Amino acid sequence: MILIDCPYCGPRNSTEFRHAGEAGKKRDVTTNDPAVWRRYLYQQDNPLGWVRENWFHTAGCRQFLCAERNTQTNEFRWVAPAGSPGPDGASDNGSAR
Amino acid sequence: MSKPVSSRINSQSGEVIDRTKPINFTWNGQPLTAYEGDTIVSALMASGVQVISRSFKYHRPRGVLSASYVDPNCSVTVSDEPNVRGAHRRLREGDDVRAQNAWPSLKLDVRAVNQLVGRFLGPGFYYKTFIKPQFLWPSYQKVLSRFAPGGSPPAPGGGHGNFDKRYTHPDVLVAGAGPAGIAAAIEAARAGVKVMLVEEEYEIGGHLRYGGPEALAALAALRAEVNSYHNIEVLTDSVVTGRYDDNWVAVVQRSGVWSHERLIKARVGTLVVAPGLIERPYVFAGNDLPGVMLSTAAMRLLELHAVRPGTRAVILTANTSGDEAVERLRSAGVEIALVIDARTGVTLRRAIGRGRLKAVECADGTKIPADLLITATGWTAPTSLLNMAGDRPIWDPVAARFFPSELIPPSVMATGGIVGDGTIDQLIKHGRAVGAEAAARATGATPTPVPPLTREAHPALFHGPTTGFLDFSEDVKSKDIMAAVKEGYDSAELAKRFTTSGMGTSQGKLENVNAMAILAEATGRDLESTGTTIWRPPYAPISLGALAGRAFDPVRISPMQPWHVEHGAVPLIAGQWIRPEHYGDPSAEAQNVRTHVGIIDVTPLGKIDLQGPDVVKLLNLVYTNNWDNLQIGSVRYGVMCAEDGVVMDDGVTARLGTNHYLMTTTSSGAATVWETLEMWLQTSHPDWSVNVTPVTTAMASINIAGPNSRELLGRLTDIDLSPEAFGYMKVRTGSIAGVPDCVVWRIGFTGELSYEIHVPASFGLHVWETLLSVGADLGVSPFGVEAQRILRLEKGHLIVGQDTDGLTKAYEAGLGPLVKLGKDDFSGLPELRWQESLAGAHSQLVAIETTDPQLVPPEASQLVVGMAEIVGRITSSRMSPTLKRSIALARVSGELSVPGSRLTIVLPNGSRAEAVVRENLSFIDPEGVRLHG
Amino acid sequence: MSHAESVASIKEPGGAQARRRRSRGPARYSALDIFRRGVTNSDWPRSFRQHDLAKSYDVVIIGAGVHGLACAYYLAANHGITNVAVLDKSYMGGGGSGRNTAIIRSNYLTPEGVRFYDRSVVLYQNLAADLNYNVMFSQRGHLTLAHTDASLRTMNWRAEVNKLQGINSSVIDAAEVGRIVKYLDVSDRPRYPILGALYHPPGGIIRHDAVNWGYARAADHLGVQIHQQTEVLGIETAGGKVTGVRTNRGAISAPIVVNCTAGWATTISDMVDVKMPLITHPLQAAVTEPVKVFLPTVIVSGSLHVYVSQTDRGELVFGASVDPYPSYSMRGSLEFTESVASHILELIPSIGSLKVLRQWAGLCDMTPDYSPIMGVTPVDGFLVDVGWGTYGFKAGPVSGEAMAALIATGRVPEIISAFDLARFADGRLVGEKGAASVGH
Repeated sequence: MILIDCPYCGPRNSTEFRHAGEAGKKRDVTTNDPAVWRRYLYQQDNPLGWVRENWFHTAGCRQFLCAERNTQTNEFRWVAPAGSPGPDGASDNGSAR
Repeated sequence: MSKPVSSRINSQSGEVIDRTKPINFTWNGQPLTAYEGDTIVSALMASGVQVISRSFKYHRPRGVLSASYVDPNCSVTVSDEPNVRGAHRRLREGDDVRAQNAWPSLKLDVRAVNQLVGRFLGPGFYYKTFIKPQFLWPSYQKVLSRFAPGGSPPAPGGGHGNFDKRYTHPDVLVAGAGPAGIAAAIEAARAGVKVMLVEEEYEIGGHLRYGGPEALAALAALRAEVNSYHNIEVLTDSVVTGRYDDNWVAVVQRSGVWSHERLIKARVGTLVVAPGLIERPYVFAGNDLPGVMLSTAAMRLLELHAVRPGTRAVILTANTSGDEAVERLRSAGVEIALVIDARTGVTLRRAIGRGRLKAVECADGTKIPADLLITATGWTAPTSLLNMAGDRPIWDPVAARFFPSELIPPSVMATGGIVGDGTIDQLIKHGRAVGAEAAARATGATPTPVPPLTREAHPALFHGPTTGFLDFSEDVKSKDIMAAVKEGYDSAELAKRFTTSGMGTSQGKLENVNAMAILAEATGRDLESTGTTIWRPPYAPISLGALAGRAFDPVRISPMQPWHVEHGAVPLIAGQWIRPEHYGDPSAEAQNVRTHVGIIDVTPLGKIDLQGPDVVKLLNLVYTNNWDNLQIGSVRYGVMCAEDGVVMDDGVTARLGTNHYLMTTTSSGAATVWETLEMWLQTSHPDWSVNVTPVTTAMASINIAGPNSRELLGRLTDIDLSPEAFGYMKVRTGSIAGVPDCVVWRIGFTGELSYEIHVPASFGLHVWETLLSVGADLGVSPFGVEAQRILRLEKGHLIVGQDTDGLTKAYEAGLGPLVKLGKDDFSGLPELRWQESLAGAHSQLVAIETTDPQLVPPEASQLVVGMAEIVGRITSSRMSPTLKRSIALARVSGELSVPGSRLTIVLPNGSRAEAVVRENLSFIDPEGVRLHG
Repeated sequence: MSHAESVASIKEPGGAQARRRRSRGPARYSALDIFRRGVTNSDWPRSFRQHDLAKSYDVVIIGAGVHGLACAYYLAANHGITNVAVLDKSYMGGGGSGRNTAIIRSNYLTPEGVRFYDRSVVLYQNLAADLNYNVMFSQRGHLTLAHTDASLRTMNWRAEVNKLQGINSSVIDAAEVGRIVKYLDVSDRPRYPILGALYHPPGGIIRHDAVNWGYARAADHLGVQIHQQTEVLGIETAGGKVTGVRTNRGAISAPIVVNCTAGWATTISDMVDVKMPLITHPLQAAVTEPVKVFLPTVIVSGSLHVYVSQTDRGELVFGASVDPYPSYSMRGSLEFTESVASHILELIPSIGSLKVLRQWAGLCDMTPDYSPIMGVTPVDGFLVDVGWGTYGFKAGPVSGEAMAALIATGRVPEIISAFDLARFADGRLVGEKGAASVGH
């Protein structure tokens, strides 16, 4: 059972959270190109290693969180409120989705 | 047959039996006695029983091998509990113990005939035979399945039993209470942290318990020290079965007054792994005969249970454990026929006997009569918990066993035999150092390495000059591994899978290293490069009951549910909710709504209170339609699509004030919608000011429907219900039946004049009962979900999730008019824009009428063209009590969705029926006269 | 299409039958042969030969699981293409093919799904004879339980679609379920009582290892080279065409490279920059100690997220839905065994004392529509047979057959045309998503 250090609640079991997908996806509702929109809908980086992703603290503070987790080890190196700039200070273009 | 002779000897200083407390039990129906503290197997041995089980494949008689939990030969059935580890489980008064895997009896097992054909039953036997003729295989397979090992499953009808769970957060958890583990716990406790010490056996002490006077003295001192710390919790007959991510540790407490087994889930600061070592069997012909056992087994039986395992012994020893066994057996009165010192390079050839050891054949061919053969040829490190933490153990050819690698995270440490050798004092010293460090790490100190224990040289002994059993629980022989390699199954994993070595009840704890060594030899490699197989969790078996614990599954009911139950409601399980399906006659309930008035409990309807200046922006984003101009006092229906344009929910939202809205959702969609609202607000529009509060269970909801509904509600409320003052799709607040702050909206899912009221939950039952009592003369009666389904189908209202599925987009559900593509943004906008441009190409939701008005095509009946080309399906169908004919909604491909199209329905029984597509989804009142009245 | 050019470069060495006659046949397995070898104590020959890595192959298949091995076998057996290498970074059948719960069925929801999996069932039925290797296919019947109105509706939907496709599949009531499986609690005691079930008599279980080894052995004897412990480190392209692969044992040139991996499908496809809508989740399973056989069929409960069958060895094999978050970790979790146990005891309350012996995990590449991705990609010569979610093993034979046909003819077989990669960009998703979250 992985432990997620919720910035609002402190460390909690992962069963309290719902994984809410990879972060940083670009949503362009004005696009006329179906391929662009469907990349947003369906495409994932799915990396083996570190990934920026969103979690929702379903059974806790009900806040969306942004995190960096290693998909090989399930280790978290950074958890912050959704939309926070990354640990390197880089912004996610304002969108955590 | 002669009566077995008792093998119980005089009191031993470390014995755990209480001779003042005799226990009666039965073995295959035969009454026997034992003492409290006896295991099933020690009691049987004490009574002269040597054969405990029959083996899996060849049904060979088997006796004690390790006399511990992992003993592969000692599984028995106790009452209706199969596969009880007889070498571990302590007897209780009256236990009904039976042998497993033997038919008709343990003495005469007819399946032992398999031994005669053993030469043909090599590895992969099944893969190579029964191939042709194909039609016979199912019959063969039925016969094979009768040979499944193990006990019988408890008969159906029995309950789940009493199981429980516990959560705990120790700073240091020590797995294994041998000298090193105990010392680690003491030292961690001295540092002031919370410690849990878990021991698989019934007492702490590990091998000290059967190690002679010096060891017992050391143990007494350790025990006293443990007892002096209130911050050490000691769990015996308990085992750490798993270490999962972030030191989430599973402990199973096996015996207790509260339950059969208890699962303890511990979030641990530092896990100290100290399981000691498991003695490794030696492979040679006859090594599975009853009477052949490990040195530690003999010492356990002698020292803990005062049972003499035999009368005349041969000992093959390569270490001090074997040497000690010689002394102990001798002083217990066992005649020592021969000691073979394997350190000198001598070994034995085979064990001889038929169902029982009779003699040992030495390397030179001499046959020594004996009824006991002890082997002490090496150790296996049970690295299972370390594997689960990422460790890949490395073979040390000098010490002849695996040792942990450096891959363990700092939150996991190891001590004792698993990491090295030493005297009792050295083990304790290492344990203390590890315990202190574990406590420091648990409190946040930077990890410092602990100086390792030394490793002693040990000869690498795996097998003698003959072939024998490698895996006792699977009946795999050493030559099976050789055969597997020759056939190309030459890696550790392939050989294991092909021979099933290590797949049985002991899960490789006894046999893996021997298997690896034999594989290494067969492939001409050394053991280091042959690799290791990673032990998978759990370390020890856990009962399903312990894992399950008690069933905690929430049930949601409305405040009126007790009334429904009392009035004969048939329950409908709708997700977490239980609600009335009907009260006996759903058709009559529906008709009463059309003719008089009915009330239905719609409390499960999702309700979300929205407040703030930006609610409209949110509504515009999540719904496909436009919310800019919704006036205070009005309600509006909305459809919510996911980003892929698929319909995800629908419902009505009311504007109660300038910045105050009440949204309703489907019952099953309430949680998802709530989360979706939060998702948009938090991740895309954190600048919007909206407070989202779920109020589903804060309000009881009742729909009052039917021509008399205005009259009925009017008798109880101060709200002006006249059509001029309170029109269709409007909302008002006021008091109902004396209850203030109720919300009333006028909508019509049923197609009738109706009012949906939302009252504070605690007054729900009061309002419900009052409606029924004041409306008797108006013909009011309750109706359930089934009547509502009929009514809404008559009206042609769809149900999301029934008339739509996981891929239905708004236009396919006939919801096109509700999609406002001109809005700047809403969920699913681009997909819906493209879908709209394909108008007519996609499937449609239509209302249909069967040619035969009395035929109700069951839901899911398929619509076809030609023989079997599927072009749609019936999504909802009922007999309409109002129209006295069958009515249905269907999804059908675009070209067939035009009104007047003739459709062919294939019914579940294969027959076919005709139907026609209607002009309008509504079967009754398409103009909405009733609704707007 | 340009893939055809890559195909044209493969030398056609003669018809499949001719090729088979030329090849020295493997040792035949039969009861008689077992008897002969038992009496004479003679060894069986190697089933899989070891080879040095050649400089070039006509086809390189990445992943020696059931998909890769079946593809190689059918390339050789049906099309005479034998200059084929199957590469695996570990041992054969060690990924999903050796970690699944070996359930076979064809009662899917969509016509394209039903047709596809039914072909697989047919191939499985004849596989023992085809491969001369008993894969122990036990068509013991498959029950998908319904505990809610909604799931009963989906069962009916599946049954009706199945029947129209000629699949033996029907909805039965709770009493009938209880007659078939006496240990199931079909009373109204449970929190979610059993309301009925989709009954699929041809469904069943198979010995997964035997399938993998049977294909490997048969492919080996037709000349295919299986290279275990051979990891692909990169894929070479030139001018938008595949030219070969780099491995830990050296470089290979090949005009056609097939990605037949699960769990590593993204990693491999990233090597040629082909982006696919995959997300990798662990799927866990567990097995109990053996008890005498009491469970006659495969039992699946979508609502309770659990499935169970009993092997001929007496073990209960459990599975559930994929883990709730993506991961490549195969360490397994306690919450999996906890939830499986609680759900199984809801179904079969009397077996609380049975003990879980072992748990494990495999990796599943999930697609948005619960259907695989098969066929060509924007990179010429780079083919995919991936995205198998939780249903890959049961599709092994038909996938191998279809991929082999695609490679040999350059044309996408009709049976897999719905599963193309382009469907996501085109918005043509396959409708299996409606079926159930537990797709076993």
